Amino acid sequence: MSSDFYSSSILPYAAIIIKICRAYTNTQEDFEDYYQEVCLQIWKSRNNFRGQSEWSTWVYRLTLNVSLTLLKKQKKSHSQISDEMLPEIPEEPGVFEDESLNQLYSAIRKLSEVDRGVILLYLEEKSYQKIAEIIGTNPNNIGVRIKRIKERLKKLLDGKVY
Amino acid sequence: MEKSIESIWKDGFQNDKGMSAPKVNDIYNKKSIHIIEKFEKMFTVNIWGIVIVSSLLFITSYFTGALFAGSIVLTMMLYVAYTAYHELASLKKIDKSQNSYTFLRSFKDWINRSVDRYGKMYRIVYPVLILSFYIGIWFSNTFTDVREIVAANSDALFFGLHIYTTIFVIIIAIIMSVFSKSIHRGDVKTIYGRILKKLDMALAEMEELSH
Repeated sequence: MSSDFYSSSILPYAAIIIKICRAYTNTQEDFEDYYQEVCLQIWKSRNNFRGQSEWSTWVYRLTLNVSLTLLKKQKKSHSQISDEMLPEIPEEPGVFEDESLNQLYSAIRKLSEVDRGVILLYLEEKSYQKIAEIIGTNPNNIGVRIKRIKERLKKLLDGKVY
Repeated sequence: MEKSIESIWKDGFQNDKGMSAPKVNDIYNKKSIHIIEKFEKMFTVNIWGIVIVSSLLFITSYFTGALFAGSIVLTMMLYVAYTAYHELASLKKIDKSQNSYTFLRSFKDWINRSVDRYGKMYRIVYPVLILSFYIGIWFSNTFTDVREIVAANSDALFFGLHIYTTIFVIIIAIIMSVFSKSIHRGDVKTIYGRILKKLDMALAEMEELSH
């Protein structure tokens, strides 16, 4: 991967890639693996970008798909080992300076895999249309879904749901 | 007042250190180690497979009165397992601290050298195994009736062996000896094909990445 490609096509979207990867990982090591894999997949799949959507939309979608795939792989490899053999990986202390943000991330990680993607895009102020386009769902359902996710997040943050 | 999740998000990401992008280097580090570890695992299973199968064959040969042939087969297969064990030891010596590309290249070179060495070894092992199996089965207790029928109905016998069948088996043994490298290459492809494909893909991607 040329540094030109990285600087021009990935780095401007690094913030959202980082935010998404953080939502799907519990440890710094996993986060770095996810980030690298996303960058690699963007580079490998760059010729598949047909220009039918914006580059940023394509990058978000790919980041979500890679994160979901890696999470699935991780779950699969964990399920092959009995629970007794594998201690649960504890969530590392928050990486952000803002403690409220750490708590919000911790709550987001408790959501379903797709809901995590939806709420991240919502918080990044993407329109319902864009979120639906990235997630691959009907835009009419997005509003209701976001409302439901926000209620759950609020409960999680208030400590009512574990 | 309690902050909304939108404001937690917005305020939290103002100049935060957690936002620094990790360095993108040595992307294939984990992948390459994973490829080789998987290969090592399969290779070890295969060595044990050879030991177990050859032991079972030896036990069977004892009960069927083909102990001599069984001993030859056991010796040959244990020799193959012993060679494989040494090959595995040399694979483990590949320096893991090299960069991923050099690491995978060294692995690829090891495979090529190993296939070459095995190909030469099987030039002897294949015919010996085939002839041992043939002679062992022919003179085993389970084949007594067949031997008697053949002896009663055919003059084409040589030390109790049916000449034409023996010539046919010898031809097969010679062909396998001549094509031992290709046969072994095919075996490797069948057993380790998926890993080798991943290896080639990773190397091709890494070469492209470096340009």
